[in-house]
Amino acid sequence: MRKLMPVLLLLASLLTSPAIGPGLAAPAANTLVYVADISDMISLDPAVAYEFSGILVAQNVYDTLVAFEGENLTTLKPRLAQSWTIRDTGSAWNVTFKLRPGVKFSTGRPVTAEAVAFSIDRVIGLNKSPAFLFKDVAGLKEGDTRAIDSTTVEVTLPKTASPQAFLSVMSFTVGAVVDPDEAKAHESGGDRGEAWLRNHSAGTGPYMLERWDTESRAVLVANPNYWGTKPKIARVVIQHVPESSTQKFMVESGDADIAANITPEQARDMARKGNVKVQKGKLLQLVYIGMNAKHPPLDKAKVREAIRSSIDYDGIVRSLLRGEARKVQTIVPEGLFGFNASAPFQANVAKAKALLREAGVPRGFAVDMLVPTGPAPGGVKWSDIAAKVQSDLSKAGIKVTIKETAQAQLLNIYRAQKGQMVMILWGPDFPDPDGNATPFSDYGAKSIAWRNAYEDAAAAKLAKQAALEPDSAKRRVLYKQLTDRILHQGPYVILYQPTTRFALRKSVAGFVWNPMAFAEFRTVSK
Amino acid sequence: MVLVLLGVSVLTFFIAHVVPGDPVLVALGEHAREEQIVAYRRAYGLDRPVPVQYAVYMSRLTRGDLGISIRTRRPVADDLQEFLPATIELSSAAWLVALLLGIPAGILSAVFKDRTFDHLSRLGALIGASFPVFWLGLLLLGAFYYRLRWLPGPGRLDVVISPPQLRTGLLLVDAVLAGDWEALRNALRHLVLPALTLGLFSTAVIARMTRSAMLEVLYQDYIRTARAKGLREWRVVALHALKNAMIPTLTIIGISFGSLLSGAVLTETIFAWPGLGRYATASAISLDFPAVMGVTLVVAVVYTQVNLVVDLIYARLDPRVRYE
Repeated sequence: MRKLMPVLLLLASLLTSPAIGPGLAAPAANTLVYVADISDMISLDPAVAYEFSGILVAQNVYDTLVAFEGENLTTLKPRLAQSWTIRDTGSAWNVTFKLRPGVKFSTGRPVTAEAVAFSIDRVIGLNKSPAFLFKDVAGLKEGDTRAIDSTTVEVTLPKTASPQAFLSVMSFTVGAVVDPDEAKAHESGGDRGEAWLRNHSAGTGPYMLERWDTESRAVLVANPNYWGTKPKIARVVIQHVPESSTQKFMVESGDADIAANITPEQARDMARKGNVKVQKGKLLQLVYIGMNAKHPPLDKAKVREAIRSSIDYDGIVRSLLRGEARKVQTIVPEGLFGFNASAPFQANVAKAKALLREAGVPRGFAVDMLVPTGPAPGGVKWSDIAAKVQSDLSKAGIKVTIKETAQAQLLNIYRAQKGQMVMILWGPDFPDPDGNATPFSDYGAKSIAWRNAYEDAAAAKLAKQAALEPDSAKRRVLYKQLTDRILHQGPYVILYQPTTRFALRKSVAGFVWNPMAFAEFRTVSK
Repeated sequence: MVLVLLGVSVLTFFIAHVVPGDPVLVALGEHAREEQIVAYRRAYGLDRPVPVQYAVYMSRLTRGDLGISIRTRRPVADDLQEFLPATIELSSAAWLVALLLGIPAGILSAVFKDRTFDHLSRLGALIGASFPVFWLGLLLLGAFYYRLRWLPGPGRLDVVISPPQLRTGLLLVDAVLAGDWEALRNALRHLVLPALTLGLFSTAVIARMTRSAMLEVLYQDYIRTARAKGLREWRVVALHALKNAMIPTLTIIGISFGSLLSGAVLTETIFAWPGLGRYATASAISLDFPAVMGVTLVVAVVYTQVNLVVDLIYARLDPRVRYE
């Protein structure tokens, strides 16, 4: 024991002394450390990635033909396509893209129209989670995308699909252009290179994927063959840090530059510190309650209206969410074309009771509400929002029984049309209003309206019309009609549209969060 | 051991399938189309009756195939290979902490019974056993990383350091094999706080057990005889008493390793440690049967092996114990 002591003391001092060796290395000026919970990263193949973390990486290592930049989701900008035209052939839509000349993949090979056709067909052929965006939303099959010449791509859409929706789908990860030679070189068992592209990149984006250690980190390095302005920061490390308190420690101590998952309380605390700043990020999510339109007495429109009229939305946004959300009561979120700012509902117990009387349930009724477990968007627990709703509704005589349910089970019940009231959230798959309008309005789309057993032929018709309307002004009118109708007739209580927040070192600039849940690191400097 | 594993596999499999909920829905998300869900179910054989699924699983298992994780879409064996070494490293370090702190504390507590050290040690053990792991982790991280800057932050390695060539997955071993001393030092420093966090509870348990076992032994006749023979006190304690006190303590030590293996999820979350705890939790929440089975079987195997070693050590320590 006596001989052991000096050894132990030496070991202890070696381990804790910062003076020897590199010690606690803060990231160098040419490395950006972005800490977030990336446990949802399943694949970095753009034809497969459908989780937030995968999309974040894919949007930085691949380019799409067209893109929405920064927070602007209404003006489409050229990327790999310099220009595009939409032609009505009578029996179909023809969308023709002219590619930007001289663009190379990170592998050095040139980008051609064949590569674009390959990439789109690949998504359809692999038929993974995001494939429905091309197959169902755009109605495409393999072969509908053709290379007319080496710089011209023509896509034929059926008349039932909306060219605007198709273009916004093309701005999303699924429209990424992949190097076909690289994919084919790593093909295995007919997977079109999927197993390799899961953790390797072959794109034209400002960065390339250097490595991805699952549940640990993804490292991006600048693409030497990038066609655009070189990114200001040559290396981006996306580090997996699942606990928000740990993220806060790291940003405050300088070991991380950007933290993506801090809570509102932490944000308030950090706003007071000198070396960090807090930045808000827009989201397109809507937190809502779905009411089963076939479950009495929710089958009466007046009862649903009574529920909508009972809730203290301002209280939820102000007190529970402390301003980390916007009060939105219509089905298209703010930031998308067709947003309807109409928000007529705010707790009015007298009105609610009157509506219930008119509907024939003067003494109220009892109902179950399924609520997810864990945190809701905006940094508050689902159960807290549920408790508030329960208390608001009880004032009108409606007795809500809260049933906190794990996601696996909740989705099961909801999708089987077996929920009575279900509190949940929805985010559109592509930045076009149809990404919300059709699911919420069209029973036949087997999405949200279906889950709430809401059959409304007029609403479904409006949604289809609005999706296909090429004239902007007319389209806006149609969406106003649709959203106003659902506002008062539909089976939804739209509670709020959350915002997210980031903590950044003071010196970090140029970080813009795209509401489709990613950021382009090429604009960031520190 | 085979019987134990068989029993574990049956129990886990059927419990996982009894729980209501659909893992495919969780894996594919809210937006998944009906045809995709059907295709996915078929691909994973989830549309067949449960006993058939079990039979298929077991037949694959005999060929070393642990199936494909519904959540990560990778072979479970690949997932385990990725996360198990990190957990083994963390659990072993925590276990070492528990042994190096707990056993001496227990011995000294027994020797200095009812004196100051004993009281402090017993208070420490009580606190250690009651302290919530999550809070302890954040406290240690806040103090030693954030305020004092003595130790590095989360993860197994600093962001700026490239990991050594992967051979075993155990960073410490791989760093030594590659001669990468910077990585070794860095990995050791990253291990300190999580090991302390995870190991505190076991330290408390082992300290208490050692103390009570030592106390029982110290009042035995043969100890009085040893003292009467004129042996120095520390020889009496270290050689005669300790050896006998270790017998019941060893059981606790073996069990504690098993609990360290499977109970690290909170520590792993705070310190962003890519281990089995978080993998197991995520799999359980999303009803990922193959992954849950894989983790359970691996933990069961390691656990039974550790207890086998404990039993063998018994034989060495206690001459009364004989195995056929």
